[in-house]
Amino acid sequence: MTMQQFVLGACAFFVAFVFEHLPMPDLLMWLQPQWVMLAITLLVLNAPRVYGLWLAVPAGLMMDTETGAYLGLHVITFSFHIFLVQLFIRRLDGFNLLQQMLMVLILALAHQLALFWVSQMMEAYPKPIDIWGPALTSALVWPWVYAITQLTIRRILS
Amino acid sequence: MLVICLLAAGLMWVDQNYTVFQSLRYVVGYVLYPAQQVALLPSTVAGWMESSTASRQQLMDENVQLRARNLVLEQKAQRLASLETENIELRELLSASEQIDDRVLVTSVTAVDPDPYSKQILINKGGEDGVFLGQPVLDAFGLLGQVVDVLPHSSRVLMIADSNHAIPVQVNRNGVRAIAAGTGALDRIELIYVPNTADIQLGDLLVSSGLGGRYPKGYPVGVVVEVEHQSGEMFARVSAVPSARLDRSRHLLLVFSQGAGQVPSDEIWRYKK
Repeated sequence: MTMQQFVLGACAFFVAFVFEHLPMPDLLMWLQPQWVMLAITLLVLNAPRVYGLWLAVPAGLMMDTETGAYLGLHVITFSFHIFLVQLFIRRLDGFNLLQQMLMVLILALAHQLALFWVSQMMEAYPKPIDIWGPALTSALVWPWVYAITQLTIRRILS
Repeated sequence: MLVICLLAAGLMWVDQNYTVFQSLRYVVGYVLYPAQQVALLPSTVAGWMESSTASRQQLMDENVQLRARNLVLEQKAQRLASLETENIELRELLSASEQIDDRVLVTSVTAVDPDPYSKQILINKGGEDGVFLGQPVLDAFGLLGQVVDVLPHSSRVLMIADSNHAIPVQVNRNGVRAIAAGTGALDRIELIYVPNTADIQLGDLLVSSGLGGRYPKGYPVGVVVEVEHQSGEMFARVSAVPSARLDRSRHLLLVFSQGAGQVPSDEIWRYKK
């Protein structure tokens, strides 16, 4: 991993956790996008050889601490997510933004579903309907997140 | 992937049953701290702007109000001193341990847990300030909850309305003991396993009983608003509204009391005897 890639990863997580921690009104809480999941997707897409499954460990531990979940919960769901992104990486690269949005929606839904199952196994009882809100908003913000980060990365590298 | 998942599952199991990874969470808390502070910057700046741009007239009005309030409180405090002395004397008569004023630490709410099913909040005091797991948290009106997660500069508080929470209480009027469990709704707690014959009425004030050793004794928990006796049922259905303003309070108090967080060793000795 080069210094640039390390800084890029650290910045992506910093921004993602800032957004994750932003105070939101009660009514909109269930619509909060999965910022950390989007950051992971971007990093894996940009440098798949550097950012692999290992990324799930630090990101998952930080997310567990942020949300007060049992340590390891998000490590499992993020590793599942990274596995899926790596599986579809070539298709994602070739897609236009609308197709990418649909793909992100599917990936976010899969991530939410994994979170839902693991939470149920840990005797927490979330409602199945709640997996849709964050997945939909994550797909909606994806084009902006993708465009901004691609521009930034190009500017840094040029 | 399988190896990471298995390791993570093991980590979850250990974290659920033991507290050995509390230090790991503490260290990760240091890493997250800068991002959390940046996220809270807009509200901090807005609060600072609001307080620094208050007009002279507003400040004068507030000053008058505070003076009046101060007078009322001073008068109450005078009565409190005599009541406290009387209380200590009565306790001495009963050979009970004397109740010393609890030490408190003022803290502010920095965030609310986005999970709609979990009634948790984040406060701006953590391990560096002496906060400990299980520490009781109050607002100006009553018991609010307890600390369930301690990070270096912040802590997570589980409120009494969370459906995973229960607190031993007693009716202030007659001392009837019960357990107040959270319902998941911020404006309602329920007394569980209350016999149909128990003397609990509408408007009764519930205070913490101190049993269990986690919460200090005598703080208001809620006011009974519904008592339903169902024929054929063993227990009555009793609901109460929490005294603490769970959805509005911004400034809270962390209690460092002798009875809170742990059962005092002299009390254990007394039971053994």
